[in-house]
Amino acid sequence: MTSSARALVVLAVALALAPLALPPFFLQLLTEIAIVGLFATAFNLLMGFGGMVSFGHAAYFALGAYAAALLVKRAGIPMLLALPAAPLVAAVGALLFGVFIVRLTHTYFAMLSLAFAQIVFTIIFKWKSLTGGDDGLLDVWPPAALKSPAAYYYFTLATVALSLVALHAVSESPFGYALKSVRENPRRARFIGINVRRLQLCAFVISGAFSGLAGGLFAFYNGSIFPDFAYFTKSFEPLVVALLGGAQSFFGPVAGAFAFKILEWLISRQWPVYWPLFLGTIVVLVIVALPQGFVGLAGGRTWWTRVTGKT
Amino acid sequence: MVDPSDRQDLVLQTIGLRKHFGGVLAVNGVNLSVPPGDLRAIIGPNGAGKTTLFNLLTGDLARDSGRIYFAGAEVSGLSPDRLCRQGMGRTFQITSIFRRLTALENVQTAFLSHHRRHYDILTPARRLYRDDAFALLERVGLHEQARKPSGNLPHGDQRRLELAIALAGCPRLLLLDEPTAGMAPRERHEIMALVARIAGDTGLTVVFTEHDMDVVFAVARGITVLHQGAVLTEGSPDAVRGNPDVQRVYLGQPAGR
Amino acid sequence: MSGLSVGMFLFLVSVGMSLIFGVTRIVNLAHGSFYMVGAYLMVTLVEILPDRPWAFWVALLVAPLGVALLGAVIEVGLLRLIYHRDPLMQLILTFGLILVISTLVLLAWGPDNKSVSRPDALAGSIPIFGQPFPSYYLLVLGLAPVVAVGLWLIFYRTRWGMLIRAATVDREMLGALGVNVSALYTQVFAFGSWLAGLGGALAAPTIAVALGMDGDVLTTAFVVVVIGGLGSFAGSFISALLVGLLQSFGILIFPAVSIVLLFAIMAVVLVVRPWGLLGRPEQ
Repeated sequence: MTSSARALVVLAVALALAPLALPPFFLQLLTEIAIVGLFATAFNLLMGFGGMVSFGHAAYFALGAYAAALLVKRAGIPMLLALPAAPLVAAVGALLFGVFIVRLTHTYFAMLSLAFAQIVFTIIFKWKSLTGGDDGLLDVWPPAALKSPAAYYYFTLATVALSLVALHAVSESPFGYALKSVRENPRRARFIGINVRRLQLCAFVISGAFSGLAGGLFAFYNGSIFPDFAYFTKSFEPLVVALLGGAQSFFGPVAGAFAFKILEWLISRQWPVYWPLFLGTIVVLVIVALPQGFVGLAGGRTWWTRVTGKT
Repeated sequence: MVDPSDRQDLVLQTIGLRKHFGGVLAVNGVNLSVPPGDLRAIIGPNGAGKTTLFNLLTGDLARDSGRIYFAGAEVSGLSPDRLCRQGMGRTFQITSIFRRLTALENVQTAFLSHHRRHYDILTPARRLYRDDAFALLERVGLHEQARKPSGNLPHGDQRRLELAIALAGCPRLLLLDEPTAGMAPRERHEIMALVARIAGDTGLTVVFTEHDMDVVFAVARGITVLHQGAVLTEGSPDAVRGNPDVQRVYLGQPAGR
Repeated sequence: MSGLSVGMFLFLVSVGMSLIFGVTRIVNLAHGSFYMVGAYLMVTLVEILPDRPWAFWVALLVAPLGVALLGAVIEVGLLRLIYHRDPLMQLILTFGLILVISTLVLLAWGPDNKSVSRPDALAGSIPIFGQPFPSYYLLVLGLAPVVAVGLWLIFYRTRWGMLIRAATVDREMLGALGVNVSALYTQVFAFGSWLAGLGGALAAPTIAVALGMDGDVLTTAFVVVVIGGLGSFAGSFISALLVGLLQSFGILIFPAVSIVLLFAIMAVVLVVRPWGLLGRPEQ
């Protein structure tokens, strides 16, 4: 067994045994870490593997959260049946928006994705009769069996683990190779027969779907959902997490999720107001002072041009 | 008008191809006919329109007017990925590979796409077409470098890799845009000899642009001379060499670049 | 009619963003934040200045200058360090600035909404076509051609403006000709920030000055700049007018749908002409 596989097993065992050792608060923190890790990994399928940096992924997170929550609250559907709607609705949203977004590259891609996310935010905000608008939707809870921190923790862990397995398969599949080739050299990819836009759209939809699943999981974890799940500052989260942990490796975003959430917990409990300031400052510092990002501190090569770690 | 039945015999044919570039007529009514198995060199002084013509052929540029036929079927205006599927392969003037992937992965990806497996999201790709990729890399002399990140390879090896990538698509026509650019003279002959060998073995038709006349006359079976966006003359190497118009057009060119 | 004034604020923000992009090639996502700072500075200035008729006008003069100073500091202290970097890194950095600035604003002014009253001279309304039209909007509308003409004069009739236009076409050449491109960048960034600050200061008496106005204006400015074309001054002007009008009329007809309409138009533009109505295609 390779050393990284061994590390994963150790981690998996530790996570599985956590409820026996940790108080509920830390289980909740781990649950959040898992959700953010999924969100960031889905996001990184586009960024690290596909070379497409989206500034509007909160849209799909929010679409997933609202889809699942609305089904439970307005249609009375049990959570386990409503949750699959999260990735589905998010995928539809990603398809609709993606058709336009993948026509562009780099800066315009980022900008248009940001604008679409703000559209989603505004629609959620203004459609008060459906979404509750600014007041949000409250009392969005899982069924009694999953309600305790430990139970929901296991549920989330299992869902996220399965999702990561699926995403990992995608990244190692022929599709993943093709996606990387498009990232490296779209012109060349075209001339080995790849329809670049179509492939990018596919990646966009897959990424959006899993982001939506993360949103759905978060809705029932949090117990309430609000329009600012779609606000652009939420879009910033998977980006920072992925950069923090390393965008060029598959598990980088998960590592980043640990670091990010623990930092957030430490800072927010003391000075809640200062968290965005801290976050923004870290990002600015990392970009200015550490061209290689945090991960580059260990390596030595330019982070953005590093050879992928896991293939 | 060329009779459609004649067209069938030609791998590549263009009729009246025209392209403006902001006021400049870069390609001015080019009629090209390339029979199967040909090793056609397209030569001409700088600015003659060689690269523009190439980009028109490969769908990277939209033509203003004219038509392109590939193996008898009209392909004018098709996108590069569609043309590739029809059987056209190309290399670029500036080496165009997937730099952060290994040489092996470069060729594997080309195979995966060729076999239309690039939407497969479930199978691990690491082993797919690996033997085929190794074989192809060996063919172009890159067997040793298979596992190295292709961006780290020396220039000449990157060129060979690009050739392998293009060949992975089992093309009927290979378009090479200045394949020997940036190479030392001996390497130039080596790579073109390799191209000629592969073409001979597989019946592949090759069209390439080239500045180095030694290479052209060593390898080409047919030569098309472009001048100011139009075909000046076309024919066998000897015929072209002896053509007074050609000599005049090349007068003042530095000898043997 | 208020749509035209909204368009004016948008125009100021968008043209500043467009200008900065045109010269430095940086999309300043924090531009909405500059707008917000301009509005908040206006609040404070009007508060601390004595209650005289001229107070408002002095505040209107000083607030944008404060924002310009902020912009200059950011440019010299931060942006200079990342000009050579991947454009997306630059984008992320300016994204980070949004968070920093909005928290600083929260710390300095608190979470409550603020407001600025209109100057007495312009507090009332004037009947136009039988409808009462707020006089303040007349000011804004009156300023519109002044600012537009002023900008045109600057860009096309001054040496500085010529340098800017040259910089949008070929920066290296400009540097090779001995122009201090570095200083030019700072000046351009400060000027762009000044415009955004002016937009915020002008808008302050018409809206609730609150946290979150940075995000709202940012995305709308995006729509404007995308439709008009990044780097195109005329494009921003026309586009801002259109968008401002659409937003206002849209709000009258279909409050919930107006922004979706905006999005639909932007999507259409991006499909048909991704570089905007008057922009230049992406390199």
